[in-house]
Amino acid sequence: MSVGTGILRVPKEAKKGEIIRVQMVITHPMTPARKDPQTGQEVPAHHLTKLDLLFNDKLLSSMNMGAGISANPFIAITLKLEDSGVVKIVYEDNKGGKWEKSAEVKAL
Amino acid sequence: MDRRKFLSLTAAAVVGLSLVPTFKPAFGATKLEEEIQKRLGVQLSQIKESADIKLTAPTIAESGANVPITVESSIPIEQVEHLWIFVDKNPVPWIADVKLTPMNGQVFLSTRIKMGETSNVRAILKLKDGSYVMATKEVKVTAGGCG
Repeated sequence: MSVGTGILRVPKEAKKGEIIRVQMVITHPMTPARKDPQTGQEVPAHHLTKLDLLFNDKLLSSMNMGAGISANPFIAITLKLEDSGVVKIVYEDNKGGKWEKSAEVKAL
Repeated sequence: MDRRKFLSLTAAAVVGLSLVPTFKPAFGATKLEEEIQKRLGVQLSQIKESADIKLTAPTIAESGANVPITVESSIPIEQVEHLWIFVDKNPVPWIADVKLTPMNGQVFLSTRIKMGETSNVRAILKLKDGSYVMATKEVKVTAGGCG
C-alpha cells in the first residue's frame, strides 16, 4: 500500500445518542529526522502532522502529532451519534501530502 | 612576552578551560518540563494527579516501536477541552494532542506510540475551568523504538 492510504472503520448502524468508536489505520512510515546508520546521510523527517475528524462536515476533533506515534498509526476516538451521516477524516503530513477518507453511519 | 611566560600562561589557560564544569541540563525531566511549559503554558509541578483519568498501557512493552495506550476518563466531556500525551524520556517528549468537543461523547483516545526507553507515560487533560489534571503510568521497555 502506498503512503497515505487509510482504512476507516465505523459501525454500519447504531442507536441515536449512542457513543460509537471511530477506528482508523493509516499507512505511513512516521519517521523522525535522523542519520542513516549505513551511509551517515541526514534523512529528513516524514510523519503525519494533523488529523481532523469531521461528522457531516462539522469539525469534531483535531489531533496534532509528531514522529512519536508508531509507524502505520492506529487511532481510535469516540463520537456521539445524533443523526445519520458521514464520518470523514482528513489528514496531512509534513511533506505536503493531504488525504481524506469517509464512511457512512446510519442512526436508528 | 618571553617564551617562558607565554608557555606558563597557555598551560594555565588550558587547565582552566578543562576545569570549567559543563552545565548541561539533566536529559529526561528537564526536557519534559520545557516541552510542557512550551505547549501547555503551565509548569509540570502545577498539574495535579487525578484518579478520574484512566491510562491503560502495558507494564512491560515487548517493543518500544509499538506501545498501545488508551486514555479514558470519567470526567464529563463538556468539562474537557484538550488532551495531551507525553513520554518522559523520549527525544521529543510530546507525542500528540487532541482537541475534544462535546460531540465526542466521552473522553477516549487509543493509539500506538514509540518509546525510546523505560519511562513514564503521561496523559494530561485541560478542563474548561482552566485547570489541568494528569495520569501517569510507567512502561518498561526492553527494546527501544526510536529512530
